[in-house]
Amino acid sequence: MAQDGSASTGKTIRSVETAMSVLEAIQRHEPVGVTTITEETDRSKSTVHHHVSTLCEAGYLERVGDQYQLSLTFLTLGGQVRERKQLYHLAKDDVDALAERTGEQSRLIVEEDGLGVTLYRATGEHGAATDTHVGSTQDLYCTAAGKAFLAELPAETVDAYIEDQAFVPYTEHTIDDPETLRKELDAIGSRGVAFDDQEYFEGVRCVASAIGSQSGELLGAISVSAPVERMDEERFRSEIPDQLQNVAGVVEINSAYSEWTDAFSG
Amino acid sequence: MAETQTEVGVVGLGTHGTNHAEILTGMGHEVFGADTNPKSRREFQKRFDTTTYDSPSDLFQSGIDAAVISTPNKFHEPTATEAMDVGLDVLLEKPLAHTLESAERIHEAAIETGNICMVGFHHRYRNACQLVKEYIDEGYFGEITHIDAKFIRRRGVPGRGTWYTSEDIAGGGAMIDIGAHLMDMLLYFSGWAEIDEVMATKRSDFGQHGDYAYIEMWGEDDEAKMYDVEDSVTAACTFEHGMTANIEVAWAANTNSSHSYKLRGTEAGAHVDIVEPHREQVEGVTERRNQLELFEVRKACVDHYVDSEVVVPDNDPYAAQLETFIDAVVAGERPPTTNVDEALRVQRAVDRVYREGKPP
Repeated sequence: MAQDGSASTGKTIRSVETAMSVLEAIQRHEPVGVTTITEETDRSKSTVHHHVSTLCEAGYLERVGDQYQLSLTFLTLGGQVRERKQLYHLAKDDVDALAERTGEQSRLIVEEDGLGVTLYRATGEHGAATDTHVGSTQDLYCTAAGKAFLAELPAETVDAYIEDQAFVPYTEHTIDDPETLRKELDAIGSRGVAFDDQEYFEGVRCVASAIGSQSGELLGAISVSAPVERMDEERFRSEIPDQLQNVAGVVEINSAYSEWTDAFSG
Repeated sequence: MAETQTEVGVVGLGTHGTNHAEILTGMGHEVFGADTNPKSRREFQKRFDTTTYDSPSDLFQSGIDAAVISTPNKFHEPTATEAMDVGLDVLLEKPLAHTLESAERIHEAAIETGNICMVGFHHRYRNACQLVKEYIDEGYFGEITHIDAKFIRRRGVPGRGTWYTSEDIAGGGAMIDIGAHLMDMLLYFSGWAEIDEVMATKRSDFGQHGDYAYIEMWGEDDEAKMYDVEDSVTAACTFEHGMTANIEVAWAANTNSSHSYKLRGTEAGAHVDIVEPHREQVEGVTERRNQLELFEVRKACVDHYVDSEVVVPDNDPYAAQLETFIDAVVAGERPPTTNVDEALRVQRAVDRVYREGKPP
């Protein structure tokens, strides 16, 4: 799992924590007023008021009447973070091609802090089955990309991950116990394809394959999702996995050789 | 054989790269290596007691005399053009590149830099094939009217699921892999005739997760992770001056394996049958084949057929190819055979078959 990079001294600044929880509350409910933020963050109304004013001043929030929402500054920051990710540059065109070939939504996902983060997505002719925008996060145990990641990790890391999970039942199909999850991770095994059969969104199936480096480092995953009506058993278990693996394999090889080609062109 | 000891950098330390290094060290030359894979580097380093690099740029700057490039097809161009730009002569594994456009750029770099650029169509160095060519040039067969060319493996999909079976990385399947050897030999026998018309069918019958029973896997197997290429091609071609050819290429087919050329001339004919290395493992038979037969009709008191079996000494085509390369490097002269001009013609012909090729 990726480390969160927080200082290990144990010293944190309370007002920064408050600012972060204010931002997170706004992210969940925007546009949102001070009263709701106060309830969500368990801080006083005046504290919240000072924070939103400061954040507005700094350009991180926008005021709409009595309510607040995140500003485009976050896109500026996020765009920069994505640009820095080599995998985004290596896989973008292949994700586009996969979306076009399947007609469905294809996504490039990376793991951070035990969540799958959508780094890029492309949508085929049938449109998107879910609203999983760039930057959105999903739990690992109930998504195809997440399970593809977990299947690549050493047993101890998976154990630690499972220990921390509340196993939220997003749908009636969501895996709700460690044993079922472990069995499924074993099954993903050598074939390297993971499935989400309506486990996160009701009526949506998703297939994913992890992308690794030659030294075994986990780089990310590519997924294809579609509503059940367009994803029958044959397409879900065979056709899409084959198409996905052709693309995932190419991204792995291109990434292995990227340093060579970069060095030459530079 | 060159008397001078040379230092050769091998880029891509898989089966082919290691095989080249084995022969080169056997010939008394020194080898160095580069690969993206740390495991391949360690193995090569240990086996040849040498230095390896994770970047070919560093290898190219290390003072070597020449480079042998055996990376996946897609990376031939960046690696070979970089090598030639810094003044190195190169021997590339066949095919020249994964696409015609990429092949043209390598050709251009070879012309611009003036470095030697040879491509590993090693079958051409077989004694039997060179002898046939000499008979052709002497006019023994009269005019060649038709060639039946086959490169069929009963079960020989190379590295299922690795880059070999990926369109993006290899540029195609059986046709660009073993079909490139076949096309090279065909054009060589034809005197590098231009193709006029092509009718071709490409099939993929042994796909990603289909049943694939075999005696021994050809190369490494990655459980067919990637597989989006054709595994066989059948084609009929007409050439300028009226020559025709039937082409059969297959990585897997339910028939006998065969790598053979049946030439029909106006005066005589020939069958040349090439044994593939390791074929015994794949086929489960140890029948020895590397033979040449000639077919004539003579007039005498009675008209009669004369069929002769030609016995040529066995030679190692890989070693003959590397000797040609090293000799060329030492002499600083472009070799007349399997050079970048011929390799580009082969690439054009393979590309033509792909463009004309339709699914059944």
